[in-house]
Amino acid sequence: MSEGTTPLPATRRMTVIAQDPSIRRPDGRILMAAIDVPAEDLMPGPIGYRVQVVDYDASTGRYRGAHALPVSAEDEPKAWAAGDPAIAGDFRFHAQNAYALVMKTLARFEFALGRRVGWSFKVHQLKVAPNGLMDANAFYSRRDEGLVFGYFPGRGGKTVHTCLSHDIVVHETTHALLDALRERYLDPSDPDQAAFHEGYADVIALLSVFSQVELVAELLRRGPGGRETLEDEHVLAAALGETILFGLAEQMGDEMNAVRGDALRRSARIKPGQDWLNDPEFKEPHRRGEILVAAVMNGFLEAWTSRLQAAKAPEQKRHVLRRVAEEGCDIANALATMWIRALDYMPPVHLRFGDALSAAITADLEARPDDSRFQLRRHMLASFAAYGIEPASTREDAPGAWRHEPGRMNYERVRFESMRTDKDEVFRFLWHNRRKLALREGAYTEVLSVRPCIRVGIDGFTLHETVAEYYQVARLTPAELGQKGIALPPEYVAELERARSDTQARREQSLRAAGEAADAQAEPETDAVTPVYGGGVLIFDEYGKLKYHVHNDVFGSRQTQRLRYLWSAGLLRASAEGARFAPERLAALHRQRAIGARRFPAEGW
Amino acid sequence: MAAKPVCVEIRAYQVGFGDCFLLSFVYPKDDRRHVLIDFGTTELPRRGNQAVKPSEHMPRIANHIKAVCQDKLSAVVASHRHADHISGFATDGKSGGSGKIIAACRPQLVLQPWTEDPKAARDARSATADSKRSPRSFLAGLNAMHHLAQHACNVALRPPASMSAAAAKQLRFLGMDNIKNRSAVENLIAMGERAGARAVWAHHGSSSGLERLLPGVKVRVLGPPDLSQTEKIRKMRSSDPDQFWQLLGSARALRGMRVAPIAHPRAGRRVPAEARWFRDRVADLSAQQLLEIVRVLDDQMNNTSLILLFEAGGKKLLFPGDAQIENWSWALQDAPDHEKTRQLLAGVDFYKVGHHGSRNATPKTLLWENFAKRGRAWGRLQTALSTLKGKHGTPAKKTEVPRKTLLEALQNETDLVNTEGHPLASQEPCQTITIKFD
Repeated sequence: MSEGTTPLPATRRMTVIAQDPSIRRPDGRILMAAIDVPAEDLMPGPIGYRVQVVDYDASTGRYRGAHALPVSAEDEPKAWAAGDPAIAGDFRFHAQNAYALVMKTLARFEFALGRRVGWSFKVHQLKVAPNGLMDANAFYSRRDEGLVFGYFPGRGGKTVHTCLSHDIVVHETTHALLDALRERYLDPSDPDQAAFHEGYADVIALLSVFSQVELVAELLRRGPGGRETLEDEHVLAAALGETILFGLAEQMGDEMNAVRGDALRRSARIKPGQDWLNDPEFKEPHRRGEILVAAVMNGFLEAWTSRLQAAKAPEQKRHVLRRVAEEGCDIANALATMWIRALDYMPPVHLRFGDALSAAITADLEARPDDSRFQLRRHMLASFAAYGIEPASTREDAPGAWRHEPGRMNYERVRFESMRTDKDEVFRFLWHNRRKLALREGAYTEVLSVRPCIRVGIDGFTLHETVAEYYQVARLTPAELGQKGIALPPEYVAELERARSDTQARREQSLRAAGEAADAQAEPETDAVTPVYGGGVLIFDEYGKLKYHVHNDVFGSRQTQRLRYLWSAGLLRASAEGARFAPERLAALHRQRAIGARRFPAEGW
Repeated sequence: MAAKPVCVEIRAYQVGFGDCFLLSFVYPKDDRRHVLIDFGTTELPRRGNQAVKPSEHMPRIANHIKAVCQDKLSAVVASHRHADHISGFATDGKSGGSGKIIAACRPQLVLQPWTEDPKAARDARSATADSKRSPRSFLAGLNAMHHLAQHACNVALRPPASMSAAAAKQLRFLGMDNIKNRSAVENLIAMGERAGARAVWAHHGSSSGLERLLPGVKVRVLGPPDLSQTEKIRKMRSSDPDQFWQLLGSARALRGMRVAPIAHPRAGRRVPAEARWFRDRVADLSAQQLLEIVRVLDDQMNNTSLILLFEAGGKKLLFPGDAQIENWSWALQDAPDHEKTRQLLAGVDFYKVGHHGSRNATPKTLLWENFAKRGRAWGRLQTALSTLKGKHGTPAKKTEVPRKTLLEALQNETDLVNTEGHPLASQEPCQTITIKFD
C-alpha cells in the first residue's frame, strides 16, 4: 500500500491516572491506565477539535503555558506510565489527564448515541482549566463554555488537584454533555430533575471508573478473597459491594469528598427497602441524586454476581479473579451504554426518576433486545423498585418500557428525509398531528433538536432512529391557569398581588412628585404571568414512522404539585412582572453537597 | 439585697450596622446589675454628608455605658466573632480605644460561644492534620476564615472587570466583617482572665455563669450547639466529618502565601490570543467562587452565635446574636428538648431581632409564628432591631437587610425599637426599653 493511502488511525492511546493519585500499586506507584481516545492532530494547549485546555490559574494570576502533549504513547515520559508520584506535580501531565478523560467521555457518549454530540453552546470546543482556581470545587459552566477544576491544600500539606481524579473529570464532562442533550434539565422543576444532573453525572463517572479492568482487578486483589482466585462467597453482591464500592471509597483520598460528595460510599450504604424518596433529608437536590446512584450501583452489583453464578460450573467453588474483573467491566460498560442511550428517550422537561428508568429500559430494549447474558433490564427494575422507584410506564411484552405510539399519525404532508434533520419539518409534523399528540393549543411550541442516529448493539445489531425534542411554554395569569385546572400556591399569588400593588404605589408617587395626577396617568395593570412548561421527545424508526412519544403535558395535573414544590423550596419567586425562577447552578450545588447543607425555605422572610 | 429584680432597662445603642445592647437589671434599693451584650460596628450612618469614624463614635458609646453602669459591669457577652459585634472591644486606634473604657468597668464575667475558647483555639493551630471534624479542626477552620476574609478584601479593592459593583461591594462588606479583630479578641480574653473575673464558653444546654451575678434571673443557653450535638442530627450524614474543613482549604492556603488580586496576571507566560477569552472567564468565575465561599463561611460564623434566653419575674427576653436557621434548628427542631424550648419561647416578651433583620435569622414558622404575644393590644411583644439599610443584600433577590417583610411584621405586630434613624448626634446615643417584672 502506498504511503498516501495509509488510513490514519481512528484512536490513539494515552496514559491517565486510573482513579486518583491516592490509589497506589503495592510498590507505592500511582495506579495508571492507558485509554483510547479519538486520534487528532493537537495544537499546543492542548487544543483539539472538541476541547481546548487553558492552563490558567486565576488565584495566582499565572498562565502555565500551552502544553505540547506527546504525539503517541511511546513518546510519553516513562514516569507517566510508571505512575511515578512526581507526576502529581507535572502540569503537562495534568493537561493530558484532563484532555484525555474529557475526550474519552465524549467519545463514549458519541458511541452509545450513534452520532456526534455538540456542546450546549454554539462553539465547537469545550474549554478546560485543569488548575483554574484554588478551591475545593470543580464544575461545568454553560455560560463560560467550559470546565474549571480547582486545587487545594490537602491535610498532609500536599496540594490536591481535582483534575487528576478520573471520576471528577468524567463527572464534570457528563454535566456538559447532559446539558448539551437536555438543555432544560437545569431549569427548576420537580426535586427529581434537580437531583438528576448530579446523580446522573455520578452514575456515568462511577461506571467509567469501574469499566477499567486493571483497577477492578487491583481492588479485588486487595479484598478478602485472594490474589488470583476468589471464593464463591466473595463474589456475592454484598461482598463485591464491600470490596469494590467501599474498597475504592476507602482508598480514595476522602479530602476529595469535598468536591465529589460521597456518592460511592453512600451507594453501598443507602440500603434498599426504605422510603428514601420521602425522607426530608433526601428532598435536597444534592442528596436526592444519591438515591439514583445507589439504585444503579446496586443493580450493577446484582447483575455482576448473577452473571458469575450463572456462568460457573455446578461444582465450581472458586472464580478466576481476572475473569471476575472482566465480567464486572463488561457489565459496567453495558450499563454505561444503557444509561447514555436512555437520554434520547427521556422527556426534555420535568424529568422524574421513573421516567429515567423507563427511558433506560426502552433504550436498552431497542438496541440490545437479547438481554439473556447480563439481564440488565431485570436487575435495574428490581434495584430501582427496592429504592421505591417504579418505571413511569410499562407494557406486557417489556416491563418498564415506554408504550409504543399507536400508529395513527398523519405523515402525508411531511417528507421523511427532511424529518431526519430539519426542525421545521418536524414542527410541521407536530402541527399536523397536534391533536393526536395531545399538544396544547395556546402554548408556544418549539422543536429544540432533531438528531438522526445509528446505534450498534454489542451483538452487532444496528438500530436507525431519529430523535426529536420539542417543548411547550404557556405564560398565563393566575386566573387563566385556574381555568386549565392548575392551582398556584396561595402565598405566591398573594406575593404577586403585593409586588404589583407596590409597583403601582411607586408609580403613583413618582407621578405625584412630577406634579401629574396619578389616576389620570395610571395605566391599567396587566396581570402578572407564571410560565408553565411541557414538551416531549419523538422517536422515529428507520422508515420515518413515529415509534415513541414521551411527553409531559404543559397543562398536566403535575403542574400544581410542581409549582407548590418550587414555591416551598424557594425556587419560585413573585415579582411585579410575574414569576421568577431560580435556575440551578452546578458550582453552588457542588458546594452545598460538600458542606451537607440543609435548606429551610419555609423559615425565610 | 433582695433576690429578685423589679425591672430591666434595655439600652439599644446606635452603632449603625452592628449590635450593642446594655441590660440593666434593677433591684430594690437601686441596686443595679449591668450586662453588655455585644459592642461592634462595621459601618456607621453618615452625619449629614460626612462619614463618621468608629474611632470617634465608639468611645462615646463606651463612655455612655461606663456612666450608666457607674464603672461596674457584671458581665460582657460577645455573641460571636464578627466585627459588627465585637469591634468596640478593641483597644487600638481603630476603635478609639473604646475597649479600654469597657475593660475599665471590670466585668466579672466574659461570656462567649464555645468556639472562642482560646485554649481550644491554640490547639487548633495544630489541627491541620486532623482527619475528623473535631472541635479543633472546626476552630482552625474558623480561624482560617480570617485569612480568606483578608483576601476577599484585596480582591474587592481591584475586582475583575466583569464583577458587578454590587458583588464587589458585598465581597468587601463580608470581608471586612470577617477579618480577625485581634485587638478586640485579645481584650475579651484579657477581661476574662483578670483576677476576680471568669470566662465562660457556652453551648446549648450549658451554664452561662450569669445566674450567680444576676440573682432571680434564669439564663438559658439555647445555642450554638456543639459539634457532638449537631452530628446527631443526621440520620445519613451527607458529608464526611471533615468536609467543612475541606471547604476551608482555600482559606488555609492563603496563610503565608502571596495571592495576587484576581485578573491581574503577574507571573507565568504570556497568554496566547486564543486563550484570553477563557482566561478572563476563569478569572471572573474565581471571584464569584470566592464570594460564594465567603458567604458560606460568613454564615458559619453567624451560626456560632450565642442564643440566650433571660427569664425573670415572669418575663422572658431573647437575645440570639446573629444566629441563623442552621443554629436555631438544633434548639427548635432537633434537640431532645426542642418541644419544651418552643413552649418556653412562645411566651417571649422581648426579642432582639436576629442578624440585623436578615431574612434567615428569625425563623418564620419555628420561632416567629410561635411568639404568642405578637399582635396583642396590651402585653404586646417588644422588639429591638439594630441595623443600617443599604449595606447588605438587594431587594430584587429578597436578601436586603433589614428584610422588608420582616420589618413590616415587626412594625405591625410588635412594639419595635429600631436604631435605624436614631440621630447619631443625639444627646442620648441609645433608646431605652423598660420591662417591669411581676
